[in-house]
Amino acid sequence: MEDATKSTWIVAALDQYEGHLLRYAAWIVGDVERAREVVQETFLRLCKEQPARVESHLAQWLFTVCRNLAFDVRKKENRMSPLKDPETIPITYDRPGASLEHEQTMSQVLRLMDTLPKNQREVLRLKFQSDLSYKEISEITKLSVTNVGFLIHTAIKTLRKELLAESAKRRIQ
Amino acid sequence: MNINPDDPKWTAYVLGELNDAERAQIEKELESSAAAREVVEEIRLATDLLRHEFTLEQAVGLAPEQRHVITSAAARPVGALDERPGGRRPPLQFSRPMFRWAGVAASVAAGLLVVATLSVPSLLRSRQDAPLPQAATAPAPVGEREERDGGQSVKTNPTAVSRDKVESARKTAQVAAEVENLRQIRQWQQAGQLLQQGAQASGSLPAVPPAAQRPLPAYSFAENKVLTLPAGTPGPTTVAGALGDRVDRPQFNKEAYDFISDNAFVRVTQDPLATFSIDVDTASYANIRRFLSMNQLPPKDSVRIEEMINYFSYDYPSPTGRNPIAAYTEVAAAPWNPQHRLVRIGIKGKDVDVAKRPPSNLVFLVDVSGSMATPEKLPMLKSAMKLMVERLGEGDHVAIVTYAGASGVHLRSTSGDKKEVINSAIDSLNSGGSTNGGAGILLAYETATANFIRGGTNRVILATDGDFNVGITNQGDLIRLIEEKAKSGVFLSVLGFGMGNYKDSTLEKLADKGNGNYAYIDTMNEARKVLVEEMTGTLLTIAKDVKIQVEFNPAEVNAYRLIGYENRALQHQDFNDDKKDAGDMGSGQTVTALFEVVPRGVEVAISAVDQLKYQERVLDTRRAANGEILNVRIRYKDPDGNTSQLMETPVIDRRTAFNNASTDFRFAAAVASFGMVLRDSAHKGQSTMDSVIEIAEKSRGADKSGYRDEFVQLVRKARALKGNQ
Repeated sequence: MEDATKSTWIVAALDQYEGHLLRYAAWIVGDVERAREVVQETFLRLCKEQPARVESHLAQWLFTVCRNLAFDVRKKENRMSPLKDPETIPITYDRPGASLEHEQTMSQVLRLMDTLPKNQREVLRLKFQSDLSYKEISEITKLSVTNVGFLIHTAIKTLRKELLAESAKRRIQ
Repeated sequence: MNINPDDPKWTAYVLGELNDAERAQIEKELESSAAAREVVEEIRLATDLLRHEFTLEQAVGLAPEQRHVITSAAARPVGALDERPGGRRPPLQFSRPMFRWAGVAASVAAGLLVVATLSVPSLLRSRQDAPLPQAATAPAPVGEREERDGGQSVKTNPTAVSRDKVESARKTAQVAAEVENLRQIRQWQQAGQLLQQGAQASGSLPAVPPAAQRPLPAYSFAENKVLTLPAGTPGPTTVAGALGDRVDRPQFNKEAYDFISDNAFVRVTQDPLATFSIDVDTASYANIRRFLSMNQLPPKDSVRIEEMINYFSYDYPSPTGRNPIAAYTEVAAAPWNPQHRLVRIGIKGKDVDVAKRPPSNLVFLVDVSGSMATPEKLPMLKSAMKLMVERLGEGDHVAIVTYAGASGVHLRSTSGDKKEVINSAIDSLNSGGSTNGGAGILLAYETATANFIRGGTNRVILATDGDFNVGITNQGDLIRLIEEKAKSGVFLSVLGFGMGNYKDSTLEKLADKGNGNYAYIDTMNEARKVLVEEMTGTLLTIAKDVKIQVEFNPAEVNAYRLIGYENRALQHQDFNDDKKDAGDMGSGQTVTALFEVVPRGVEVAISAVDQLKYQERVLDTRRAANGEILNVRIRYKDPDGNTSQLMETPVIDRRTAFNNASTDFRFAAAVASFGMVLRDSAHKGQSTMDSVIEIAEKSRGADKSGYRDEFVQLVRKARALKGNQ
């Protein structure tokens, strides 16, 4: 592929996936700033690829590389500050006050989602935030397709059950 | 039938993850079991809700300098990347934690550390960069320490535990209420209570497969045509790839433009019929203009030639008889290949007396908050608004007020004949920011009142995804304001967009008090119906389901090619099938189609199908010898009719030279030429930017609106960007 074409291709890929990858990475590393570095590195690796080798499964490639890099960062971070549980690192935003604002506007459903096991949360995120297929999610997370389907189904069922239970409780009161 | 709601297949079905056989099985179960339908509907609600939730998450982007590092790396050839310029800090996430750990004070030491981390990881990286991502770094599976059983025992994380339980319960209850709302909206939609006409369209909702799996009718024709592509063109393999990949994952650039393969020449002896639906859209031309105005060439697949041709109005006489449409044909030499003939088929819709319908004063109040960015919201609204603008006349006025973080007048009240002004204002609507509707609605009413048309339709149209925040005004005040304005004759219509329309009740109340209607818009068809047909109720559709079928005479014609209309093709048998939808025509609209025809005796390269063994085509020599080159049949229905009417007109070629053709004919040919050059079409022949400019300059005609002049400017711009070819 010509350099100019490749460059357009990278920019288009950047436009399409930058936001999705950042939110995914931020969810893993717990910090937008480090997520940005992870995503930048992901795209630099893409620049080194022959487009023909990646094109057919671009989304899957990007998410896999991004995920691996993000977990590396998280592992290192854990070593650096062993007292911090990675699960409790709040996502911080770069604007003053933004974190609080986020806390307040964060939707109830997303809060409810936090009570799900982490593997369920991850597949939900990949499915509904980034609209990836079971197959792609399976390749990225190294879970089987059946397992991905099961996790998503179970997560949805749990969320639904809780919502309905609350709704019923409200009616009785 | 007993169904097991715990089976993951239900979710897989809703998410479009099943194969054909599995899906058919599920659909059978859905037909026979109410319980199954309920399960699927519940899952659908939950998935819509989740999808919506994620769109609400704060959007984040890379820092500009990070993007810069990537784009400059992208510009370098593969292999040259490892030689980074010395001064630039490589964007290694590994260095960051060390930075922190070292502390800001120890700047010298930190500097050393950076140097150290620079060299080691880049060495590592070059070894790790195997082609497959799996090999890049060792994956650390999520949930290693957590249960993999799918959450039979739900593990609560520390944040959840620390949360105030009462508060949590209250919020969950709210969510449940929202789900309830969403369910109601769906039920209304199914019952057709929102829009009476909607009922027919969405009749048996549970049995309809997920959107991604519905067959795309446009492709069937493309597949047929692919077979006739000349050998050596890159078409077939690419098309096969595009078709094969037509699955429900976000494919690269799929969002943007579907792959278009030029219609190829078809030998008349192979298929004497061409069948297609009219297309009154003009979006592609506006899109091309947008690209060129940003000094960019439009992507090839964004160039739809029929939409370019139909962007311009042509001077076809209005039908005078009882038919609501009239057809006109013209034949002359094709400017890009003088041996070929160019046939123009023009259809004109009856002009309905503008004086007979009251003028409209419309003020769009558009929610441009961040959540409106998804394709089914603001972009769809914009397309629908343009369709509506198409129908407006001189006496009508349109204004646009936006609201998000701040509200403002985006377009002052503008006469409906200044379509280019209105359309470019629509084009420049972009989403971003948070919602504050209070000030917006005041501003919209002010604009409507200031431009009040006595005896006309005065209407504020609020378009939102439901995050309508009344901001500075409290809800009671707002409703009183709307009630008061309704008495003054300014009405309010509310259009809800997007998946989960949470503030449904608020919106409905607003519309109710505002003497208006409330519509929930989920598809482009719905948007078209509500905005074009209902909102501008008196702007008439004069014919619907207009289809064209052309039969070529093998005694005169060797081969033919329809220019454009690639995604409007119909199966031949669909022409007479009144159940098959096609495009509608509004009062005064024109539609133009061009055929490039290779006369008998002129050769053209077409990869031929082998001679058939058993078939022999018998020519009705008596009829074929009448000198007609083709016969046009048009079917249409009256706007309220179910049975189609047939019109027919034969075409004779009088060997007209291109320069002797009508002005409109030559201009349409120039537009088609331009499209082919932009698309690098294999059929562009002698077309160049220069030849397009030359033809267009001589065929501007009266050009009252200045569109044709603008066209010439655009071609010049394209020539500067692309060169003459």
